Amino acid sequence: MIELKNVTKTFHQKDKIVSALSDVSLRVPEGKIFGVIGTSGAGKSTLIRCVNLLERPTSGEIIVDGKALMQLSNAELAIERRQIGMIFQHFNLLSSRTVFDNVAFPLELAGTPKSEIKTRVLELLQLVGLDEKANDYPASLSGGQKQRVAIARTLANNPKVLLSDEATSALDPATTRSILNLLKDINKRLNITVLLITHQMEVVKSICDEVAVISHGKLIEQGSVGEIFADPKHELTKEFIASSLHIDIPEVYQDKLQKQDNGSLNPLLKLEMTGKSVNEPVISEVSRIFDTDFKIVSAQMDQAGEVNFGVMLIELSGKRENYDAAIQYFNSKHIKTEILGYV
Amino acid sequence: MSDSIIDLLLKGTWETIVMTFVSGFFGFLLGLPTGILLFLTRKNQILDQPVLNRTLSVIVNVFRSIPFIILIVWMIPFTRAIVGTSIGVSAALVPLSIGAAPFIARLVENSLLSLPSGLIEAARALGATPFQIVYKVLLPEALPSLINAASITLITLVGYSAMGGAVGAGGLGQVGYQYGYIGYDAVTMNSVLALLVILVFIIQFAGDKLSKRFDHR
Repeated sequence: MIELKNVTKTFHQKDKIVSALSDVSLRVPEGKIFGVIGTSGAGKSTLIRCVNLLERPTSGEIIVDGKALMQLSNAELAIERRQIGMIFQHFNLLSSRTVFDNVAFPLELAGTPKSEIKTRVLELLQLVGLDEKANDYPASLSGGQKQRVAIARTLANNPKVLLSDEATSALDPATTRSILNLLKDINKRLNITVLLITHQMEVVKSICDEVAVISHGKLIEQGSVGEIFADPKHELTKEFIASSLHIDIPEVYQDKLQKQDNGSLNPLLKLEMTGKSVNEPVISEVSRIFDTDFKIVSAQMDQAGEVNFGVMLIELSGKRENYDAAIQYFNSKHIKTEILGYV
Repeated sequence: MSDSIIDLLLKGTWETIVMTFVSGFFGFLLGLPTGILLFLTRKNQILDQPVLNRTLSVIVNVFRSIPFIILIVWMIPFTRAIVGTSIGVSAALVPLSIGAAPFIARLVENSLLSLPSGLIEAARALGATPFQIVYKVLLPEALPSLINAASITLITLVGYSAMGGAVGAGGLGQVGYQYGYIGYDAVTMNSVLALLVILVFIIQFAGDKLSKRFDHR
């Protein structure tokens, strides 16, 4: 549905030439959600702006829904852009228009008759759950509501493709989740292909089918989310995955944590499950085989594609002489195990 | 104060109001499109025409640097060609409009520059043409600040029109100049001052109210 072929973009800054994208190629199949993740300044914003030619690539090809956009005239491009929805980090709603008129805006641009606009806008506001706010101005809405209006606005022309430029980066975690759910819902229900850029692995993990990692204007790794989480090749990819699996030792444990075992304390273990870990009920196995017990202190487990991964803090007790063997067993199943201390 | 003086003051006030608002109107007629063009042709803006932008900018700067009192005199032949005379209210409208236009153009350009750039980007992404961006995005979004620009312009024009009074433009300026400066009639001169102050206050007040009414940010 979306195809970028060898896209390169350079900027002239004073005397030097800055390369924002170099030889970027990617394909987003119809109906999929494709995420591009990268740190700030990696070129992801330029990348997504190149898809609807808000930024014109220096070279390369952009094909959306079978049309080569670079070859279109300005007027043709304006029409084609109506098929390509876009939402932004800062929503970019028109402050002088009510919620209703903001959603009506793209329909007015396309010359839709008034009566048709009315039914379509009300339908869209219902879809994003904001029918009661139709006559409010954007200034009175929360961030999440603003993004919903922006989504309704961009869906007005029935686009085939939706571009999301850090759409959840300015939102709190709960609102982020609800917006992501809405995007997923739109993708499923209306069969809209989504290309999104983000710096949050959580976003990729929760809604993307495929992911690419961008660094210094180059795509360094891409594949299905399951594959990437199972077997990240690049150091940066590993960092992104690790950052979404951060776990802290709870304060109560932090206070009583000892470096050395005095013979009566229980070890506090950190287990890391990655895509390489064996997909078996290992914990209950260990418990049975080695006659040990586990108390789960804190855990963050997730599923990305076929892969179950996450991190877990457990307090080990039971037969003391079997502790070492239990830890070795975890490691043999590719669950990285570490003794954080004794409690 | 004699009746004749009161008549004179009323007539002067009316003339000043006419000069201010009519030249303000023509000033905007010239200045608004110029300001929009100055904005659109800037580097990285939707029309991006550096040569046109620089040319326009130079013309605007040249007209802005001519002191108004000199502009009136300098424009006399042009004024005469347009309205047939070089004295009186209608003659004053020509230099007043020409004097206000570049000032308005810069105010408009600044109003548009203060809009978040994301708005234009969103409109482009939704398939808006440059013309649609101007009249559906830029102008409505900048309306509160354009109204403020209008109040500033009108207040400046009250001052300019009084200056014109000294060279035969009519209005409160002429009354103040003839009776106050030449005749040294303190009562008349102070009445002129008071009327000008009231006029400026009314314009500012109405402008603030109007601007607030359209501001939904």
